[in-house]
Amino acid sequence: MSVYITSTGAFLPGPPISTGEVEDILGMVNGQPSSLRVQIQQANKIQTRHYAIDANQQTTHSNTEMASAAAEQCLDRAYLNRQGVGMLAVASTQGDLPAPGMASMVQANLGLPAIEILTTHGICSSSMMALKAAYNSLRVGDHEAAMVVSSELSSRLLKKQRYEAATDSTFAAKRIDFNTEFLRWMLSDGAGALLLQSTPAPKGYSLRIDWVRGFSHAHALPTCMSVGSAGHPGDDRTWQDYDSYADAERAGALLLRQDVRLLDNIIRMGVDGYLRLVQEGVSEPDKIDHFLCHYSSHHFRSKILEMLDAAGVGIPEDRWWTNLYTRGNTGAASLFIMIDEFLRTDEVTIKEGDCILCFVPESGRFNTTYMQLTVVKN
Amino acid sequence: MVDGAQETEELAAGDEVPIMNPNAQVCLQHLLRVWLGFERDLSTVPLLRRLDLGTYTIEDHLCLLRNLRQQVIEGSRWITRTASSFDRHHAEIRSTVISHAVDEHRDYELLEKDYVASGGQLEDILGMERNVGSEALHGFLMYRASRNNPVDLLGAMWIIEGLGEKMARSWAERIHELTGLGEDSTRFMTYHGHNDGDHMQRFYRTLDEVCVDERTTKAIVKTARVVARLYRLQLEELNHDIE
Repeated sequence: MSVYITSTGAFLPGPPISTGEVEDILGMVNGQPSSLRVQIQQANKIQTRHYAIDANQQTTHSNTEMASAAAEQCLDRAYLNRQGVGMLAVASTQGDLPAPGMASMVQANLGLPAIEILTTHGICSSSMMALKAAYNSLRVGDHEAAMVVSSELSSRLLKKQRYEAATDSTFAAKRIDFNTEFLRWMLSDGAGALLLQSTPAPKGYSLRIDWVRGFSHAHALPTCMSVGSAGHPGDDRTWQDYDSYADAERAGALLLRQDVRLLDNIIRMGVDGYLRLVQEGVSEPDKIDHFLCHYSSHHFRSKILEMLDAAGVGIPEDRWWTNLYTRGNTGAASLFIMIDEFLRTDEVTIKEGDCILCFVPESGRFNTTYMQLTVVKN
Repeated sequence: MVDGAQETEELAAGDEVPIMNPNAQVCLQHLLRVWLGFERDLSTVPLLRRLDLGTYTIEDHLCLLRNLRQQVIEGSRWITRTASSFDRHHAEIRSTVISHAVDEHRDYELLEKDYVASGGQLEDILGMERNVGSEALHGFLMYRASRNNPVDLLGAMWIIEGLGEKMARSWAERIHELTGLGEDSTRFMTYHGHNDGDHMQRFYRTLDEVCVDERTTKAIVKTARVVARLYRLQLEELNHDIE
């Protein structure tokens, strides 16, 4: 049975925040401007992003509220009564509550009665996990419609108070702790939603899901992006192993970290997964009209991209599309926010039969996920 | 999320994408996957894992250098053997292999200097035997190199040169950072990086020239796989030296 994305929605909290205003929102740690901010922002090239906290670092929207707002917009645009939704799958790096699962809270907000729910936990690729489960639920005929939502509120992890409290951490000890600051100038907040149905929408374009695949390399590679460890070599404790949460926070075990040295692995594993799909005949590079990638082509300006071109399977740059630079890097929410805008933007002309390849890599412990969509019209 | 990923692999200005025949293109696709799998699985080798986790020591470094030396010595032998196994119809690839052999046939002397600069005793590295993995790798390479026109050894060069480039790009600086050793401890590793500037373009040209059918593609890819596995075995066998 075929499955279609028949409606989309997105929610970005507050006004767009320019690069120079970011530290006004997240706050200066101990009153000192960051010495790494400009360098990291220049590298990621993000121009504007949104935060669900204000300039006093007070939360303006909960993660559940953002997820619900994106889902509401998606349902408002759908040719379906909300009673028709049989399943709700929600992805986030961190819901408002560690337990229960975020899907319970979003379901309550949306008032969807007695539906099947799923919460996926991970980082960026958790959105694809939720999407694949919902897609399969429709494929086996359990449901005729499923709502998939991904939402991120990472600014709560990135506000100055988190760093100020980590008085015994690598961040406090080093003059420059790149691994701990890297994501502070990268991530921002937002939510996206997709409605999956077993028939295309009666009007306008729908996106048929051709396949969803993922390859995780955690068996071989170390952890690269995480929360919960103090980041000392040889120290295996995680945040709940400390006597108190206050001890864990002081040690820096609650800070978001990226082992920047390991990051190249995600590009390599991303290319490997793509080549694997090409070799299996699942993906045909010649037929890809649009490439929606969770990160942008300037990160691929590397030897490996040249090798893909040499091997005859490169994707020409004019087929890449992203809104990362204007909507920010919203982690798990990025792809859905991207699909939502892609269907509406004037920058790209979409026509029936167009083939869209989507790619969401997760550097957490190197999970790479791919999806192919085809534009259809009922 | 990977924004701002290290800019270690930036393209040099003026690099052009070569146009290769379809067999060579498919071969390169497979070789890329063999390489990427090899590189990923190197992270599972205990000593190299310590580079990733930040627990690599000077002892580890001495152990690595002791074990690399034999392979480097044997490396110059299989390369020269390969050159002599090509007939006159393969003069172009023979030239490439010969120039390669000239570049690298005394690299082991660099390793010996690095070893001493890292605090090791010269007689320890000179007295080191091939480890179990080096025996297997050397045995396989000499066997393939002794066959007529061993074009499949392009697959071996792909892996071994790739590793040389990786050592220069991501191991050397990390070793300095973790051990406090100076640049004279990693001259062998960095020398390869500096020396590999136009190797890729040369490799593409050679691949396009020799990889003209499916049979050759398969042979090159198979040899790359075997070399990748045996090279990793050699690095896994480093541990036996520590025990």
